[in-house]
Amino acid sequence: MPAAAVLKVLVVDDQNSVRQMTRMTLEQIGVRNIHEAENGREAMDTAALQPLDLIISDYNMPEMDGLALLRAVRGHPAARKVPFILLTGRSDRELVVQAAQAGANNYLIKPFTADILRQKIEQVMGKLS
Amino acid sequence: MASLEQLKLTFFEECSEALSQIESGLTALREGAGSDDTINAVFRSVHSVKGGAGIFGFDGLVNFAHVFETVLDAMRDGELAATPEVVDILLPANDVLSDLIALSRAGEPIPASISSASRIALESLLHGHAAGKDAAGTDAAGSEDDDGTPAPAEFEGIDFVPVRAEQFDDAALMPEAAAEPGSAGEHTYRIVFRPYPELLNKANEPLYLLRELRQLGQLDLTVETDKLPPLAELEPDHPYLSWTGTLRTAAPREAIDEVFEFVVGDCELVIEADTAAASTGGAPAAADMLIWSAEPDAAVAEAESPVLFPVAQPTAAALPAVAALPTVEALPRVQALPRAEAPSFDMTAAAEPADMAAAPRATASRPTTGGATTTRVELEKIDRVVNMVGELVISQAMLGQVVHALPEEVRGSLLQVLDEVVHHTRELKDSVMSMRAQPVSAVFQRMPRLVRELATKTGKKVRLEMAGENTEVDRSIIERLGDPLTHIIRNAIDHGIEAPSSRAAAGKAEEGTIRLAAEHRGSRIVIEISDDGAGINPERVLKKARDRGLVGADTNLSEDEINNLIFLPGFSTAEIVSDISGRGVGMDVVRRNIQDVGGRISIKSERGRGMTIQLALPLTLAVMDGMVVRVAQETYVMPMSAIVECLRPPASDVCNLIGTRGVLQLRGGLVPLVHLSELLEIGGASDSDERVIIIGDAGDGSRFGIVVDELCGHQQVVVKSIEESYGVVPGIAGATILGNGRVAFILDIEKFADLASNQNLAAGVSRFASAAPSSNAIVN
Repeated sequence: MPAAAVLKVLVVDDQNSVRQMTRMTLEQIGVRNIHEAENGREAMDTAALQPLDLIISDYNMPEMDGLALLRAVRGHPAARKVPFILLTGRSDRELVVQAAQAGANNYLIKPFTADILRQKIEQVMGKLS
Repeated sequence: MASLEQLKLTFFEECSEALSQIESGLTALREGAGSDDTINAVFRSVHSVKGGAGIFGFDGLVNFAHVFETVLDAMRDGELAATPEVVDILLPANDVLSDLIALSRAGEPIPASISSASRIALESLLHGHAAGKDAAGTDAAGSEDDDGTPAPAEFEGIDFVPVRAEQFDDAALMPEAAAEPGSAGEHTYRIVFRPYPELLNKANEPLYLLRELRQLGQLDLTVETDKLPPLAELEPDHPYLSWTGTLRTAAPREAIDEVFEFVVGDCELVIEADTAAASTGGAPAAADMLIWSAEPDAAVAEAESPVLFPVAQPTAAALPAVAALPTVEALPRVQALPRAEAPSFDMTAAAEPADMAAAPRATASRPTTGGATTTRVELEKIDRVVNMVGELVISQAMLGQVVHALPEEVRGSLLQVLDEVVHHTRELKDSVMSMRAQPVSAVFQRMPRLVRELATKTGKKVRLEMAGENTEVDRSIIERLGDPLTHIIRNAIDHGIEAPSSRAAAGKAEEGTIRLAAEHRGSRIVIEISDDGAGINPERVLKKARDRGLVGADTNLSEDEINNLIFLPGFSTAEIVSDISGRGVGMDVVRRNIQDVGGRISIKSERGRGMTIQLALPLTLAVMDGMVVRVAQETYVMPMSAIVECLRPPASDVCNLIGTRGVLQLRGGLVPLVHLSELLEIGGASDSDERVIIIGDAGDGSRFGIVVDELCGHQQVVVKSIEESYGVVPGIAGATILGNGRVAFILDIEKFADLASNQNLAAGVSRFASAAPSSNAIVN
């Protein structure tokens, strides 16, 4: 049972407001160790630098989008096992299929509540304490 | 932790950025200058607005953004072409989006009427162009959005089984990903990289290339060290090391080529899709094979020998690769890798975390396209720094005065330090000011749209050229540039550019051109708006001015003076008052706006050839160059920007005409005078010939003189507003603190021009002006 407080989570989104909102929601469920990245490329840099427990990434980003990030993570020797949750819009149904094929652990539809976030993370990480 | 309200504020800031990106993207598309990237960028911006709006619960905004986004998505997929007709629906949609954002920000309810027309237009695009799929799509989206319920947690009908983290091992992940063709799209490439000496000579670093390569995926490389000589014989700048191995990556082939983009030709390079080594285990680069064998791996040599080994005869040499590197041995002077770096090249084993730490730094330092590293700072914080720097400038000036008052023997060394303080303060001030600066493109980019719309409305053909959009100026000035520019461009299209038929008749191209250009000149930014239209018709202007009693019937005016009449209040030259330029109340308001920010406006017109309006604005409003003057015991500051010259004329050059406060004979012309002491009712002003006259520019090209007792010096002053405490005082632009700690008022010289002309009995000056046609005297 992983403790939320020690989980190291990387939040990737080009919109600062959405990133902060995700951070707030993560904090609500007890996650303390939160890193941020503005796009896939930055995220990849962070992921290669340190062991992460979870990546939550938006899809639509300049430079390197969420799917490209997912593929890069999965192809990276050090980061390839990091669980990955893709943030999607309500209308991004096809994207979820692509994400599944590319090795996403789960997806999360915006906007989401703290409960849904917890549920989605627990589906991947096991029950949080 | 940021509060929700703060996050909303951040969101709205992002929205304004998104709006301007949408606007500029659409404008580019409208002009046919857009690409797929443009459509993508516009889509992404709308999508961001929608996403954020959803998170913060602005449902009205989400609904509209959704329809907007759906249309852009259809364009992205190539189902809808970016024709001018389509973009003409999208541009107003962006306006609606902007309104909706403004309403959401203000927390006001969103009436359906605001967006309905645009929404219908957008939906018609979808129904019209891609009937089946998209129509269904919007309907579904509509019902999804309209109920306003929060987003579902799951997509119905998608069989997505969340993957538990612990199930994630190599066996589960990697082969699947590789076996799934087209999904993860991983490929294995065989890489051979043997630097030639030229590579190092051109300052390339193999280590960085390899690090970049490793960013792309799983890199298994073997380093060939057999050419490494004994230490004593080692040439420090010769490349002795080479690498062979495999790269497993989902990245396209081009990404790998890109890594080596700058070293092609300076190394032996082979990048080949390796079908034989589909799994990592099958790659020739086994962990225990550190030194590349003299006997090339049979499978590798046979499969790829045509490229890799041009003379692949095992007997030719101990190393077949040497044949491909004929220059290596021959070069007397060679380059080598820095030895310290070499150990980290061992990438045969799975990368260690510590080893990985080095990699991102290499990429981080690489300039990424368009991704300037920026940080968002609240304007308020910057303003606080600006204020502090202002205080510092004042303290520095005070320090200067104190130091100069010291006895000579103590002063020497202090002066040197003071010089440095002055220097650094100035640099600090400049850097802080540059933080507040924004490129004028923030205003310029609204203009293409304006021009297009007005051209359509008036039935004229107009092309807009822009230059210097990246010229930066303080944002407070940017904010106040929009209205004047809009007005000037409206005038240019409405009154300046002729109808296509009259242009053709005059031998001009049917399409008129308006040019909008910005550049830095000294401490000012100069913005020029020129058109190739009809220019000002002096007779018509003069007739109007006379009809309106703005100019005496027998007043003789130069063409320049006539042109400047259009800045007079209530002046209109258009025979037919149109709904575009309004009733011609514009130009005096424009001039006032520009003067309010310490700028100057001037006009040049060539009849039949067009006209140019030039705006010269200060780069900042917070600090300005001032001339410190004294009248009796009072000290004032005048903005240098408004001062044309200062002089101490002989008493004989000053004539006291009846009904005036005096005029100065200056180079054959007459300049009306104002006595500061009288205007401000200061007693005890000097009446001697020592008085100084400061010649100011009234803003419309005419000159006037201000009489003061003494010029105390030129100084940078920090402008402090007094409006909050005292309201607007005519003639006073603000206050500042001088080096001696005293407060001095900053005079608004251009307003003094009006005071000067009111004070002088109009008749007197006008009569004189008409008697002396060459004078620069004020006309009203």
